[in-house]
Amino acid sequence: MKQQVKPSKWIDWLVNKLCPEDLQEEILGDLHERYTINHGTGKKRSQARLLIETIVYLRFTIFNRNKKQYSKPNATTMLKHYFITGLRNTLRHKSFAAINVLGLTLGLTSFFLIFLWVSDELSIDAFHENEDDLYALYMVTNANGEVNGAYKIWEYVYFGGSEYYDKVWLDEMLKDRLPEIENISSYVTTYELPWGFPHTFQHEEKKYRMEGATASGDFFKMFSFEILFGDKASPIDQINTVAISRKMASTFFDRPEDAVGKIIRYENKLDLLVTAVFEDVTSYSSLQFDYIISYENQRNRDINISDNRWPVYIQLKKGTDKEAFAEKLKDFNASFKNPEFQEIYLGMQPFKDQYLMSSFTNGKPDKGRVEYLRIFSGVAIFILIIACVNFTNLATSRATKRGKEIGVRKVIGSTKHSIVLQFLGEAFLLTSLAGILSILIIYLVMPAFNLFTGKQIQMPINDPMSWTYFLGIIFATAILAGAYPAFYMSSLKPVKVLKGLVRFNQASRMFKRGLTVFQFGLSILLLIATIVVSKQTNYVQNTNLGYEKENVIYLRVEGTLTQEEKYNVFKNRLLGLPGVAMVDRSSEAPHDMTFEIAGPFKWQGMEEGTQLAFKPTSVGYDFLEMMGLEVVEGRGFSKNNPTDSSAFMINETALKMMNLQDPLGKQISAWGKSGRIIGILKDYHTHSLKEPIKPLIVDIKEDLDFGVIMIKSELGQTVEALGSLEIANSEINPEYPLDYEFMDLEYAKLYESENVMSSLSNIFAVLAIAISCLGLLGLAIFSSEQRVKEIGIRKVLGASVSSIIQLFSRDFLKLVGLSFLIAAPVSGYLMQQWLQNFAYKINITWWMYLLTGIASIAIAFLTVAYQTVKAAKTNPIQNLRSE
Amino acid sequence: MRRSDLGEFEELVLLAVAALRPEAYSVVIAQELEEQTKKLVTTGAVHASLQRLEKKGYVISEMGPATKERGGRRKRLFTVTALGSKMLHQAREVREGLWEKIDPNTLSPIPKLS
Repeated sequence: MKQQVKPSKWIDWLVNKLCPEDLQEEILGDLHERYTINHGTGKKRSQARLLIETIVYLRFTIFNRNKKQYSKPNATTMLKHYFITGLRNTLRHKSFAAINVLGLTLGLTSFFLIFLWVSDELSIDAFHENEDDLYALYMVTNANGEVNGAYKIWEYVYFGGSEYYDKVWLDEMLKDRLPEIENISSYVTTYELPWGFPHTFQHEEKKYRMEGATASGDFFKMFSFEILFGDKASPIDQINTVAISRKMASTFFDRPEDAVGKIIRYENKLDLLVTAVFEDVTSYSSLQFDYIISYENQRNRDINISDNRWPVYIQLKKGTDKEAFAEKLKDFNASFKNPEFQEIYLGMQPFKDQYLMSSFTNGKPDKGRVEYLRIFSGVAIFILIIACVNFTNLATSRATKRGKEIGVRKVIGSTKHSIVLQFLGEAFLLTSLAGILSILIIYLVMPAFNLFTGKQIQMPINDPMSWTYFLGIIFATAILAGAYPAFYMSSLKPVKVLKGLVRFNQASRMFKRGLTVFQFGLSILLLIATIVVSKQTNYVQNTNLGYEKENVIYLRVEGTLTQEEKYNVFKNRLLGLPGVAMVDRSSEAPHDMTFEIAGPFKWQGMEEGTQLAFKPTSVGYDFLEMMGLEVVEGRGFSKNNPTDSSAFMINETALKMMNLQDPLGKQISAWGKSGRIIGILKDYHTHSLKEPIKPLIVDIKEDLDFGVIMIKSELGQTVEALGSLEIANSEINPEYPLDYEFMDLEYAKLYESENVMSSLSNIFAVLAIAISCLGLLGLAIFSSEQRVKEIGIRKVLGASVSSIIQLFSRDFLKLVGLSFLIAAPVSGYLMQQWLQNFAYKINITWWMYLLTGIASIAIAFLTVAYQTVKAAKTNPIQNLRSE
Repeated sequence: MRRSDLGEFEELVLLAVAALRPEAYSVVIAQELEEQTKKLVTTGAVHASLQRLEKKGYVISEMGPATKERGGRRKRLFTVTALGSKMLHQAREVREGLWEKIDPNTLSPIPKLS
């Protein structure tokens, strides 16, 4: 036989690329043989000849390219075949399939739940037709080098002093001077803190408390709150008009449409004409109100306001250059420059962003709920990845089982491509199954989830967009989970696998271990985060606030109680009734004092130009005793001391910041009332622990027509105290329905979002650990199946059950330990960041790490041991009998 | 008679398949024809003709053994079918009928090969 002479490689390559597969063998064979024959004629000639031969072939075969002699099996047949194979494999290895599907189901369920929550948060305030042109204004102040921003705008400060209070109005002035503004509305709520409350409305005999606001005439033009009946164009332009919600209308009238044109009495002092009924405000609005009273009544000072500053919203004309306008707005205050408030200016923020980004840093709103959104979106993705890692790991491990199948497929002629498709298809099948299960689970847990997060999320079953997302996520998950195994399997060499030699090489072993470490790292990170968050939430709620909030009931000073003598009658009547220990008053509910002001305070030795903001409060004589406040220097207020009616007390923080030596007896004044400092109060928390303690100034005023009356009940006699309160109220203040709050419950409400976050992170951390352990369980089952003979031989040779468990667990525990080492510092860093949100925070201590470390290793060990014990306890004869 | 069915080159290839039986495949056919006609004959052209002939039903093929010269590739071996041999006979009859009618003096003599 002649020795073959090989033509250049590129010829082979060209033919392989261009010619139909079924002809390649003949063509290349011909070319090679001919080349060998012609080789004798000299290199150049034979090369030229080969070229011609090749070109002739190409011309012809390219021309005939589509007329293949051998057709490929058609796609549906193969799909059907893959489907059946996948199904049989799933059914044969039920435990693996169950672990995979369960893991993916849990992962997808958490992902979708968080996804629904996030999209619900994002849709808040997004329903206004003009949303792109709506902006919330905010006021930036610069005092003592501290730049502060707030949505509530102090109009009189802004315009340069209290003499303008009733004369200049921002909504009129801005619209006058800045022609870009299409509509503008102030929005003054009447129910929020510090002094707001639900106002009383009356129609004939019906009397109810309602929460609402006053707003400028443009309000209904700029926001899309649909008016159902009555004046749709300008319902609240005139003084003494009110628009009410459908709910409020049906509370007072038989049918909501009856309300239009009726007179409704407000706070027993104003008669308002109902001009319109609007659709109830959806929960997707950050502005919540049951009525809107004309702003003209606000200008007239007829309405009790909750604060002396309020938000202002604008709608710009279409096509306004937003940045140029923002500059103009910033410069606007030039004409109102008040030397006392040099650096005040207005800023603006898209209205729809306000809900998510409402806390200011350096005079710009850039934080807020959006951080929770980001954190949980991250968690959602983490959990899904953990579930995908399970799938990848298990599927790759099972390459040994499926190796023979792939070998046979390849020998028969399957291409790499089609094997990749087959395995991706299987991943897709399992993921779809998990997706369907997760939808069912979400459907079941939705009510609980809503209760938990305080939302009304509905499954978006009718929304095609959501289905598209859903399918997209399923698809992406399948790819993420199935890609590595698919490519790994398809690259197996048929000769090796058919000989039964599937060995993972170093790289793929490292990859699998890396995935396990990654997955456990994420879970441990979530666990540590959970511990820190719940410790912090717990700390905030149970920390010693410096006063006793338990057993305190409070109600608002209203009706006849605004008169001092009636208040005294009320107080004395209550004290004579069962269950009541003490009664006193304060100008603001002491657990959440939001009023803070610099300016009206002067004291002996004060440096010129000092701008120190105080929280002022006026109380009764028993306040200190009732709240259990501690006096560190001097003495508390006493009725026996006649000059105490003009005395002041300050807290330690105030003392420090006022830079006052020897404070007792020093003169101090607030709003023109002056007196001496008689004592220093130990610092106590007057508001949420997110902010540090502020300077506090306390004086005695029992004749204020606003504030709260606090009733301390005898220990364990809350019911009796409430009964007494009912009696006293109906005797002395019968015009007003009794409306009270418990101080400790109201205090807890300050941390509602932290509580939700804490519970959510608990749930998701548990889920993450559960999914990771499922993966570990799968790997343990697999490795004990693989090493069943080894276990048998070891036992025959005398190994004990415990030594076998040890042998098997060691590998896994090493991985979990490693992931702990990686996750601990990362989570420490992240949680420090989160704790920056709190002025008073826990320290992250070593025991938190130790606890998570031990817990995760213990959980991992139990998971692995559970499986290994089963394997180690079987009779070795059974393991060794086959073969 | 379907004259147009069998082209001149196809007829030659068909004859070569018959002559080289049972070892008739593209390369040897091309070599044989090249030798006979003293012209360049590519395997590509032969292969194309063979495919056309197979489609018309004049030849059938099967895969033969692999050889070293072909780089371990198999060759496709061709055999003439009954239909193919009928076509060849017909073609030959036509030619011989015509040859017999030619007056020997009409054609110039065969040039001598040097």
